[in-house]
Amino acid sequence: MEELEPTTKRRRNLTPYLLISPALLFLAAFFAYPMFQGLILAVYDDEAVLPLLAEPSLSGERVGEVPPGTRVTIFAQQGNQLDGEITADLLTEQWFFVTGDDPDGAAVEGWAPETRVRVRDEAADGTPLGGTIRPKLGENADPLTPLRGEPSERADVVAELDERAPVAIGEIAVLEVWFDVEAVTDDGTVTAGWAPSRFVRAFESGEEGVVDRGTDGQFTSRFIEKMLDDRFFGPAWRTTLLLMVIIIPLQFALAIIMALVIHARPKGTSGFLYVFSLPMGMSDLAVGILFFSIFTSSGLLNSVLDAFGLIGDTPPTYLGADTRNWIIAAIVLAELWRATSIVMVIVVSGLQAIPDETLEAAELFGASYWQRVRYIILPLLKPSLQVALILRTILAFQVFAVVIALGGGEIVTVLANETYRQYFELRDNNVASAYAVFILLLSLASSIFYLRAVRTENEGAAS
Amino acid sequence: MTTPATTVKQRRRPLTPGRIATYVTAVTIALWIVLPIWFLFSMAFTTREEVRSFPKGVLPFIPFSTDTMRFFLGVDGVVSGLVNSLVVASVTVVLSTVISAPAGYAISRYLFPGRNLFRLSVLAVRAFPVVVLSIPLAVLYIRVGLFDSIISVALMHTVLTLPTTILVIASVFASVPYELEEAGQVFGASAWQSFRHIVLPLVFPGIAASSVLTFVLSWNEVFAASVLTLENRTLPALLLNQLSQSGPAYQFAGGFFLMVPSLVFMFFIRKYLFNMWGQVSK
Repeated sequence: MEELEPTTKRRRNLTPYLLISPALLFLAAFFAYPMFQGLILAVYDDEAVLPLLAEPSLSGERVGEVPPGTRVTIFAQQGNQLDGEITADLLTEQWFFVTGDDPDGAAVEGWAPETRVRVRDEAADGTPLGGTIRPKLGENADPLTPLRGEPSERADVVAELDERAPVAIGEIAVLEVWFDVEAVTDDGTVTAGWAPSRFVRAFESGEEGVVDRGTDGQFTSRFIEKMLDDRFFGPAWRTTLLLMVIIIPLQFALAIIMALVIHARPKGTSGFLYVFSLPMGMSDLAVGILFFSIFTSSGLLNSVLDAFGLIGDTPPTYLGADTRNWIIAAIVLAELWRATSIVMVIVVSGLQAIPDETLEAAELFGASYWQRVRYIILPLLKPSLQVALILRTILAFQVFAVVIALGGGEIVTVLANETYRQYFELRDNNVASAYAVFILLLSLASSIFYLRAVRTENEGAAS
Repeated sequence: MTTPATTVKQRRRPLTPGRIATYVTAVTIALWIVLPIWFLFSMAFTTREEVRSFPKGVLPFIPFSTDTMRFFLGVDGVVSGLVNSLVVASVTVVLSTVISAPAGYAISRYLFPGRNLFRLSVLAVRAFPVVVLSIPLAVLYIRVGLFDSIISVALMHTVLTLPTTILVIASVFASVPYELEEAGQVFGASAWQSFRHIVLPLVFPGIAASSVLTFVLSWNEVFAASVLTLENRTLPALLLNQLSQSGPAYQFAGGFFLMVPSLVFMFFIRKYLFNMWGQVSK
C-alpha cells in the first residue's frame, strides 16, 4: 500500500490551498449546501401555516395563522393587486378602465369591475374593446354603476354611469380575489383575517372553504411520523437488515476464500484475479437483470433443471407474488455475486501485507493450513476486514436496482426503494428526505459501532 | 504496487492434495462468475425466438444472431438514452479529473495546515450514500431549473466520484518521487517544465485508469439518474423504469449492454485495481 505522506516539505505557501480550492468549492456547492437544504426538508414544512392579515393586502398586519386543512367561513371577498404571475388555478377578477358618458352627458372615465360591463366588441385576439354597463337586478337597486379612481372596491368613486350606457374599454387590470375568513382551530381559538384566495379552496356555496396550503415554514415532526406510519416502512427496514445479516457473513467467507486462492498463486493467477474482480465494475441493475434471467420461470435455472428432468411440464415460478423467500434468496445470490469482489480486493491487499516469513515460520513449526489461516492470517487481516465491513454495510443500506429487477419493489422492498417511491410515485420530497435521513443515521451508527467495537477490543488487549 | 502474480516468481510445486483443492476452488468460483455472464451474452446475441423459448440454451448451442441486439437498439428512447449515458459519463470524467488532479497533487506533494482535515472531509463525502444525496440535489436542481437535464446528472455523478478520484490521483502522484521533479529543476527546467515533461508522462497511465473507473461508475449509476431525470433518461434509468413493462429480449439485451463497458474497462485497469481500491478503502 502506498503511504500518502508527502515526499517533500516545502515552505508554507498558498499553492496547496489554490490547488484544493476547486474541489472544495465544488463540494460546497453540490454536496454540502444541497445536503443541508435537503436534510432540513425532513423536519421543516415550507407550507406549515397560512398567515391571516388584518386587511386584504400583503403589507397588512398579521393577526393569526391557520394550518392547511382548517375549515373556514368566508365572510367577504375582494379583488386585490395581484402578487406574482397569473396561474390557471388562481381565483381572479378583472377590472376595466372604461370611458363613457354619464347621465348628464358629460364624458367620464374610471375603473369598473368586469361583472358590471357586458362586453360587446372584441379584438381578434379576444381583448375586449367596448360594451355596455349591465343593468342591476332587483326592485330597489340603484340604477347607477360607480366608476372608481383605482381598480378596487375601496377606491373613491369618481363618476357614475347609467345602465346600458355604452363604454369603451381601455386598460384591463387583473386582481386576485382575497377572502375575509374566520377559522376555528382544534383547540377552539377563533382566528379571523384576510388571505389570498389562492391558498383557500372555496366550496360551491362560496360561504365556506378550507385552507389549501400555507406560505410560512415551521419545524415539524409530521414527515417523520408519516414515514413511521407508512405501511412499507416496517417491511423496508426489516428486509434491509435481513439482507445485510444474511449477505455480509456469507460474503466475507466467500471473499476470504477467493483471496486465499489468489494468495496461493495458482497458475494463471492474473487470469483468475481478472475473473474474480469482474463483477466489481458492474452496474447493480445489470446484475439484477442477470439474476432475473436465471430465476425467471423460463430462465437458466429451470432450463438446467429441465435438462436433468427434475421439473415437470410447468416450470416453477421463483419471482412471483407468493414466493417471497425465493426472491430474497435470488437477491442474496445476486448481491454475493456482485459485491464480493470489492471485499476480496481489500482482503488480498491485506494478505499482501502479511510477510511470507511469518507464514513460513508457522509452517516450519508444523502448523496445518487451517491453523495458519485461523491463528495467523485472520487476526492479521482484522484491519482490512474492518474497513471492508464498514464499506459493505454502508453499501448494504443502498441495495436498490437488484431488488427492483428481481422483485419489482412491491413484494420485497428496501429502504432505498421506499425513498424512491416517496419521491417519484408519491411526489413527497419531505417524506423521501425523512427516509434519506433514516438511511444516513443507520449508516453513521453502524460505522461508529464497528469503529468503537474494534477500539474497545484493542483497549481490552492493552490492559 | 504490483499484483500478487509478479511479487514472487512462480515456484514449481508438486501437485499436492492442497494444490488440487486450490485449483478446484479457483475454477469453481471462476465458473460461478463467468457462467451467468455467458448466459446473458448468449441471450443478447441470438434470435428473439430463442430468447422466448424454453428450455433455453447457451451459445454455441443456439444460433448466433444480432437480432435481439438490433431489436433492443431499435426500441424508442434506447439510442437517446445511450447517447445521454455517454455524454453524462464523459462530462463526469472531465469534470472529476480536472477538479481532482490539482487537489490530488496538493495532498501528495505539500504538507499544509488543514491537509488532514481536507482528506477527512473528502472521505466523509464518500461515506454519504447516493440515496441520501440524490433527493436534496433533485430538490435543489428543481429550484434552479436544472431538473431533468443531463448536466444535472453529470454534476451529481461528479460529486459521487470526486472523493475516489482525488484519493486515487493523490496516490498516483505519491508514487512518483518528488526527487525526480527536483532533479529536473536542478538541470535547469522550470517547475512547470519539469512537471510537464517528467511527472505528467509518469502519472498519465494512472490518471487514465482513474478516469476509466470514473466512467464506469457514472455509466452504472442508476438511483441518482432515475431521481434527477424524467424525459432525458440515461440508459440505466430508462431500463429501470421500463423493466416491468418489457419483454425478456429487451431486458436481457439491455442488461448485457450495461455490462459491456465494465467488462472491457476492468481488463484495462486490472493493473491499477489494487492501487485504487487499496487507497479508497483506507
